[in-house]
Amino acid sequence: MYTAPKFKQRALALACACAALSASADTLAAAAAASAPRAEVIHWWTSGGESAAVKQVAQAYRAAGGVWVDTAIAGGDQSRAVTVNRIVGGNPPTAAQFNTSKQFFDIIEQGMLNNVDDVARAQNWDKLLPEPIVSVIKVDGHYYAVPLNIHMQTWIWYSKAAFQKAGIAKEPASVPEFFAALDKLKAAGIVPLAHGGQAWQETILFSAMLANLGGKDLYLKVLRDRDPKAIASPAFRNVLLAYKRLQGYVDPRSPGRNWNDATAMLISGKAGMQIMGDWAKGEFTAAKQLPEQQYGCIAGLAPNAPYLMQGDVFVFPKTRNAGAVQAQKLLASVVVAPNTQLAFSKLKGSVPVRTDVDASQADACAQKGIAIMKDRSRHLGVSEVYLTPDQNGAMQDVLTAYWNTNMTVDKAQKNIAAALSE
Amino acid sequence: MRAATPYAALLPMALTVIVAYLGTMLWTLRTSFTASRTFPSDKFIGITQYTRLFDNERWMLSLHNLAVYGLLFILACLVIGFLLAVFIDQNVSGEGVLRTVFLYPYAMSFVATGLVWQWLLTPGTGIDGSIAALGFPDFVFDWIVDQDLAIYTIVIATVWQSAGLVMALMLAGLRGIDADIWKAARLDGIPAWRVYVSIILPMLWPTVATVFLLLATSVVKLYDAVVAMTQGGPGTASEVPAKFIMDHLFLRSNIGLASAGAIMLLVPVLALLAPYAYARSRRNRERGHA
Amino acid sequence: MMAQTTLTPPLVHAPVAVLARRRRFTPARIGIYVFLFGAALFFLLPLYVMLVTSLKGMDEIRAGSILALPVEWTIEPWRQAWSQVCTGASCEGIRGGFWNSVAITVPSTILPILIGAINGYALSFWRPRGANLLFGVLLAGAFIPVQVMIYPLVRLLAGAGIFGSLPAIVLVHLVFGMPVMTLLFRNYYASLPQELFHAARIDGGGFWRIFLHVVLPLSVPIIVVAAIMQVTGVWNDYILGLVFAGRDNLPMTVQLNNVINTTTGTRLYNVNMAATILTALVPLALYFFSGRWFVRGIAAGAVKG
Repeated sequence: MYTAPKFKQRALALACACAALSASADTLAAAAAASAPRAEVIHWWTSGGESAAVKQVAQAYRAAGGVWVDTAIAGGDQSRAVTVNRIVGGNPPTAAQFNTSKQFFDIIEQGMLNNVDDVARAQNWDKLLPEPIVSVIKVDGHYYAVPLNIHMQTWIWYSKAAFQKAGIAKEPASVPEFFAALDKLKAAGIVPLAHGGQAWQETILFSAMLANLGGKDLYLKVLRDRDPKAIASPAFRNVLLAYKRLQGYVDPRSPGRNWNDATAMLISGKAGMQIMGDWAKGEFTAAKQLPEQQYGCIAGLAPNAPYLMQGDVFVFPKTRNAGAVQAQKLLASVVVAPNTQLAFSKLKGSVPVRTDVDASQADACAQKGIAIMKDRSRHLGVSEVYLTPDQNGAMQDVLTAYWNTNMTVDKAQKNIAAALSE
Repeated sequence: MRAATPYAALLPMALTVIVAYLGTMLWTLRTSFTASRTFPSDKFIGITQYTRLFDNERWMLSLHNLAVYGLLFILACLVIGFLLAVFIDQNVSGEGVLRTVFLYPYAMSFVATGLVWQWLLTPGTGIDGSIAALGFPDFVFDWIVDQDLAIYTIVIATVWQSAGLVMALMLAGLRGIDADIWKAARLDGIPAWRVYVSIILPMLWPTVATVFLLLATSVVKLYDAVVAMTQGGPGTASEVPAKFIMDHLFLRSNIGLASAGAIMLLVPVLALLAPYAYARSRRNRERGHA
Repeated sequence: MMAQTTLTPPLVHAPVAVLARRRRFTPARIGIYVFLFGAALFFLLPLYVMLVTSLKGMDEIRAGSILALPVEWTIEPWRQAWSQVCTGASCEGIRGGFWNSVAITVPSTILPILIGAINGYALSFWRPRGANLLFGVLLAGAFIPVQVMIYPLVRLLAGAGIFGSLPAIVLVHLVFGMPVMTLLFRNYYASLPQELFHAARIDGGGFWRIFLHVVLPLSVPIIVVAAIMQVTGVWNDYILGLVFAGRDNLPMTVQLNNVINTTTGTRLYNVNMAATILTALVPLALYFFSGRWFVRGIAAGAVKG
């Protein structure tokens, strides 16, 4: 065709132009990316609600000019194992998730983490954050982790329908009232306490009794100070007895049950109460139940009951790469920003770490939590905050054995003393 | 010169054995004598980790569970695998389908199939619920929540996963047996079951020995099934050594104790393998001299 | 001769007792079918539960019994599992890791089989001194739980500068696959007649010539067997891929774990089951299409100790 060569020529020119444009666009993008702080973050937030929550952090980071590279690995211990192995292997991520606990203490000791002192001092973390959190992220005067949220471990959830059926008019506000409510539920033919028979869930029940029955002082003496006298005391013995007493209120099929299947029992009205962390809200929400309407939440069994805090932090593996250090500092400041805190906690079911946030957007139970958080005297950490993973695990072994076998309370007391003595 | 090539060809194996396996065994041994937590440390503490190990009720229970589990699992797999192989070998129709049916569990990741087994064996909502609905209202199968019986549920699920592989291996062994043997046995008027017991089984002995070896490795390394089905529970009732070691390696950040456990697990294995290897090398030497 | 018989795959072998007469429905035969049928039910039960669960909505699962057929059938879980479910900040299902798994599985099958064949060949025919001792330690190594070896291997590979890459994970699979592969090939070759080997040596063959021209052609059945076992092991592997493959090469099992495993998040059981079946399809397909080979392969004497 006569027009063909011309057409071909034009097509070629067009193609060349396009290529040139895209090449320059690529280099522009590459240049932009090279200057934007790139953060690879290892975490274990993989389920629906958790994913949505971490996306908020990612978006906030991107809005601040950074590039978020997501490496999600389900299962806390697997995720942490990968983090440790990558640090050892010389290929560390920019940031990695840990729990607010002593899990990363050894890594700090080995000098494998960068600190975020500038951000911490600039925002006065000592004043802004609760003391249990500061106690694990601040080592030797340096701040090695940025906290993301606070979960409360021992909320008492109850099904309004079950309470109505059992004739329980008001929420139990003391330990005797709590057991009375359990008895009423049992009499009404409802499973009083929905429980999943896994070691960590049994530890939650124990912590609830220690905090509510034993009180803040005993709690700290046993778990933080590991005082043998406190562990051998009659007060602690009572706590253990109350813990074992709870077993009479769970159904025989509880061993091995996942926590969300126990929450499902509340949702369907088959069970009355569950002691579980505030992540349980996700299950209620997924079943379209609303706080104070179909279910209720009790923070503690006394007006000043301790608020047992756990949560998640990001640590920053050591690197001298200037770009990575910049990314780490940017991430730290983004995470603690009030907006990020609110957006993340709303989807995660937790409360923000800072008390100066606008709580009006949070749901009813979270608002309760935020209000309690303003009272610093009620701040307490979960056992992981005070014990090393090994001590915590050894104590868990004793608690679950005591729950499941006919171990005597004296033997349990002795074994816990042994577990906490190392 | 002729002698050098086999050695050169075995170099990858030699490297793997010495660097990877022996190296790890020695490193684990060394760590078991230290107070290592998340990272290996140089603080030597003698045999403290071992004494702590044997004072640990959970570890002792895990050893007991392993012995019980190992015996039952290997026996059940061998028997069921053998029976399945024998019966399939009887010129049944649909052999291909049957073989796939028995083999497919091996392909599936136990993380999910373990959960399914937990559901099936949970009293009330699992199989016993359905049987009760069929007209046996008192039927209860609650092994999985029982302190003493939980480990047996793990046997059931892992036999489900591995018996198919044993069947396939046995079937192949059966098919390798000379047809003349059958003819001769028929002529002698020996009943079929006796042929199997007295003639076929002894001939299958090498097959059985290899299958036993493969099954033994899965017994010692048993971990996924326990985690997926019972998490070692109820309480610590279905704890096994590999899970104890793993928990202390990662969860509890105590690799010193985990290493001690790993060494204690390796020692009986070596003790059992050594006579087996010695007997084999003697047989090979005798054969080699032919 | 015995050796000859074991080499040719017995295609139409059957106990003479049955072959001699027409199939009759004797009590014995009925018993056989009953046993096989019962066993098949037991084996299929979990698969039934998985399929049925993957076709239900979460409300039904929460409320209903696991053995009940779905009241409302839905394939949403399957679609979600493949391309929509959240596995972190990204919500793209498990398909992302598929090609990574392939990229890991292919070399991690070929290399261990090759080396296993060479090892088995050298061990059974040439028997250099000390080789059996090496083999013994290798076999002992097969008993060590994989996680115990992770830390030393991390240090080794980091020292070699390849930690967190495709070569690293292939090397790791080679290390962990070597014991079983070597065992398979060694036993298989041990059942081959030694005369074959001696004849080839007399004809002037060297190590590699005999391997390539005599032994390898005879190994086709056992190679299929080894491939099936290795592909299953590598495809379903999770922890090794997670630690050693590096972020860009994470296999499908990592996404699968992200879907199934969660500590404090909600669990979508139907999506979990769908995702598991999807992931298992590759080894299952391999079994289905080479099932005959599998049995036939070992028939050629692989497991003769």
